[in-house]
Amino acid sequence: MRKAKRKFTVLLVVLMIASLALAGCAKKTADQVKPASDVIKVGVFEPLTGTNAAGGQMTVEGIKLANKLYPEVLGKKVELVIVDNKSEKQEAANAVQRLVSSDKVNVIIGSYGSSLSMAGGPVAKTAKIPVIGCSPTNPAVTLGNEFYFRVCFIDPFQGTVMSNYATNTLKGKTAAVIRDVQQDYSVGLSNYFVKAFKASNGDASIVADVSYNTGDKDFSAQLTQIKAKNPDIIFAPGNFLECGILVAKARELGIKVPILGGDTWEAPEFLNQVKAYKDIYFSTHFTAEQPVTEVSTTFLNEFKKAYPDKEVNAFGALGFDAYILALDGITRAGTTDGVALQKALAETKGFKGATGVITLDANRDATKTAIIKKVIDGKFVYDSKVEPK
Amino acid sequence: MDKRNGIKNLLTVALLAGTCLLFFWAENNLDNFQLRILNLAAIFAILGLSMNLVIGFTGMFSLGHSGFMCVGAYTAAILTMSPASKELIYYMEPIIPILAHIQWPIFPAILMAGLVAAVFGLLVGFPALRLRDDYLAIATLGFAEIIRIVVTNTISITNGSLGLKDIPSINSIWVYWGSAIITIIILKRIINSSWGYAFMAIRDNEIAAEAMGISIFKHKLLSFTIGAFFAGVAGALMGFIITSIDPTMFRFLFTFQILLIVVLGGMGSLTGTVISAIVITIMMEVLRFVEEPIDLFGILSIPGLPGMRMVIFSIGLLMVILFYRQGLMGTREFNWDWVLSRLGRGKSKERGDSI
Repeated sequence: MRKAKRKFTVLLVVLMIASLALAGCAKKTADQVKPASDVIKVGVFEPLTGTNAAGGQMTVEGIKLANKLYPEVLGKKVELVIVDNKSEKQEAANAVQRLVSSDKVNVIIGSYGSSLSMAGGPVAKTAKIPVIGCSPTNPAVTLGNEFYFRVCFIDPFQGTVMSNYATNTLKGKTAAVIRDVQQDYSVGLSNYFVKAFKASNGDASIVADVSYNTGDKDFSAQLTQIKAKNPDIIFAPGNFLECGILVAKARELGIKVPILGGDTWEAPEFLNQVKAYKDIYFSTHFTAEQPVTEVSTTFLNEFKKAYPDKEVNAFGALGFDAYILALDGITRAGTTDGVALQKALAETKGFKGATGVITLDANRDATKTAIIKKVIDGKFVYDSKVEPK
Repeated sequence: MDKRNGIKNLLTVALLAGTCLLFFWAENNLDNFQLRILNLAAIFAILGLSMNLVIGFTGMFSLGHSGFMCVGAYTAAILTMSPASKELIYYMEPIIPILAHIQWPIFPAILMAGLVAAVFGLLVGFPALRLRDDYLAIATLGFAEIIRIVVTNTISITNGSLGLKDIPSINSIWVYWGSAIITIIILKRIINSSWGYAFMAIRDNEIAAEAMGISIFKHKLLSFTIGAFFAGVAGALMGFIITSIDPTMFRFLFTFQILLIVVLGGMGSLTGTVISAIVITIMMEVLRFVEEPIDLFGILSIPGLPGMRMVIFSIGLLMVILFYRQGLMGTREFNWDWVLSRLGRGKSKERGDSI
C-alpha cells in the first residue's frame, strides 16, 4: 500500500514537471513564430468570466461583428486575438502582457471595467502598443498614459450632463444622492454630479448624500432618510442589480420624484425591476431609435442580422467603435508601428462611429454626444441627446 | 555523519548559486510575459507559504489572508507613490497631509508593509484566536471583509473604491524571487526552531501540547502574526507588479485561490507549496488554449468556452481531495538525505528550494 502511494507521488511529480517542461515548449514555439507580415493582429482583453462577464461579452460581440464587416486594413487581413481577464486585476495585467509579448499584437482593445483597464494600461505603455478602451469611464484610466485612448465619454462629463438635465429639463432645485461606496464608477459619477449641481443651484441644493455597499438588498433606511428631506431629484448611479431593487423600493415607499442614473442601467435586469414605474432617466452612449451617424445605421442592421435574438446595446456599439477606430488609426498612420499609430490615434477628429461623432481631446478621452433615455411602459425610450460643449 | 553534513551544506550553497544563475539566465533570456508569470509565481509562493504556516503547521483554519494582503499592498503603495501622482489620483478628496509628501525607497516600504500587516494580524488575532476550527475560519473571514470595507471608506487615506494607480513598477526577478527565497529561509528556520515544534505540537494535539507546558495562545498568536507579516509583504509585491490596486481585488475569493495552492501542495510542506504555486500560476496561463476554439481534424469543432481553465482546476482539486488528501508532498519536505540516499553520492538533478 505504501509502495503504491509512493509510486503515485512520483507519478504526480513527474506529471507536474512534465507539464512545466511542456509549458516551456509551448511558449518557445509561440516565440519562434514571428508575426506574419500579411496579418495585422488586434488584441482584445475583456472580462468573459467573473463578475463583469456580462459587460465583457456584450463588448466582444460588437468587436466580432466589426471584424466580420471590416476584415482588412492596408490590404492585410485583420486577426482578432481575444483573451479573458476573469474580471481580476492581475489576470488583466497578464492578459495584456501576453498580447504584447507572445501574440505580438499591433493594437489592443479593452476593457469593460475601469480597474481592469488600469491594471492593463502600464504594461501596454511600456511596450508602446496603443490601447483603445470601449467603456472604462473613470478619468484615471487615460491619465498619464499616452498610449491609452477611449471611445466613451468620462464620468465628469456624464455627471455634468445629468446635473444639467436635472436642473434645466426636470426643473429640480434640490437633489439627493445615493451612491455605492464600493464601486469606483458610482462614487466618481456622484462626485461630479454633486459638483455640477451645487454650481448651478447653490451649496444647499444637495439635501441628502447617502451610501450603500455592493450586494445590499435592503435600501429602506437610506430611502426613508431621503424621503424625509423631500428632494426634487434623486441621483443614484450604480450597478443595475442593486439600483433595480433600489428604484423599485423607492417607488413602493411612495417617492414619486424623478430618479436619475448612469449608463450601467441599460440592462434587461434593471428593466425587469422597474417595468411598472416611470420618471426614471439615465445617460448612455447609444440609441437604436435615433441613429446619430450612417455608421450607426450599418451597425444596427448588421447587429440584428448577426445576433437576431439579442437586444442592441451600448457596449456592443462601443466595442464596434473601438475596432473601427483602431483600423482608421492604422490607415491614417499607414503603418502598424506602435508609436506612429499612437500619434495617429491622438489626432482623431470628427471620427464617425456607431455611437456618435468622436473627437479625442488632449487627455485622449472622447468628447461626444450623450444620449438620455427614460423608462416608459416597461421599455427604454430615447428622450433627448446632449451635445458636448 | 560530519562528512555528510558538510556535503549537505555544500549542496545547499551550490543549489542557491545554481538558482541565482537560473535567475540571471531568466532575466536575460525570457520575454516580459514569461518573466511576469514567473514573478507572479513568486508572489503566490510567498502567500502560500505564509498561509501554510498558519493552516498547515499550526493547524488554525484562518481565512483572513486577503485582508492582510490588502493592508500590505496599500501601505507599500502609499509609501512609494510620488507626491505628484498622489495629487492627481486623489481627486475626490485630497490625501491627508502627513502622507502627501512622503516617498520611500522600495525595500523599506516592503518591510513596512509587512510590519503594518503584522500589527493588524496581532490586533485581529488577539480576539479571534480564542476560537477554534470553523469558528475561527468564520471570524477571520469576517475580519478580512472588515479590513476591506474600512479601506473602501477611508477615502482620504486610501482613495476608497477608486483605487490607486501609478505605483512604481518593478520587473526585476531578483526582487520577487529574492523575497520568496528569504521567506523560505526564514520560515524554514522558524519551523525547525522550538517555536516550530510548538506550532506542530499544537496542530497535532492542543491538549497534549498544553500539558507539555506550551503556551497555546502565545504560539498561536505568534504564528498568526508571522503569517500576516508575509501576507503583507506579498501584498506589497502584488502592488508593484500590477502598479494599480483597489479594494475589490482583495475579496475573500482571493483567499481561496491561495488555499488551493496550499491544499494541492500539501498542508504542512513548504516544498509542496512552492512547487504548487509555480505550477498553478504557470498552468493558469498555459491552459488558456482550452478556451480557444478547438478543431479536431475537421470532424468536430468545439467553440471557445471562457472559464474552461477554472473547470480543469476544480476537477484537479476534487481529485486531490477525494483520492490524495495529503496533497502533492503531504508533510514531507525536500531534503538532501533523501536525494543522497536515492542517488548515492552522485550529483543531484532534482531541483527544490528548501534548505
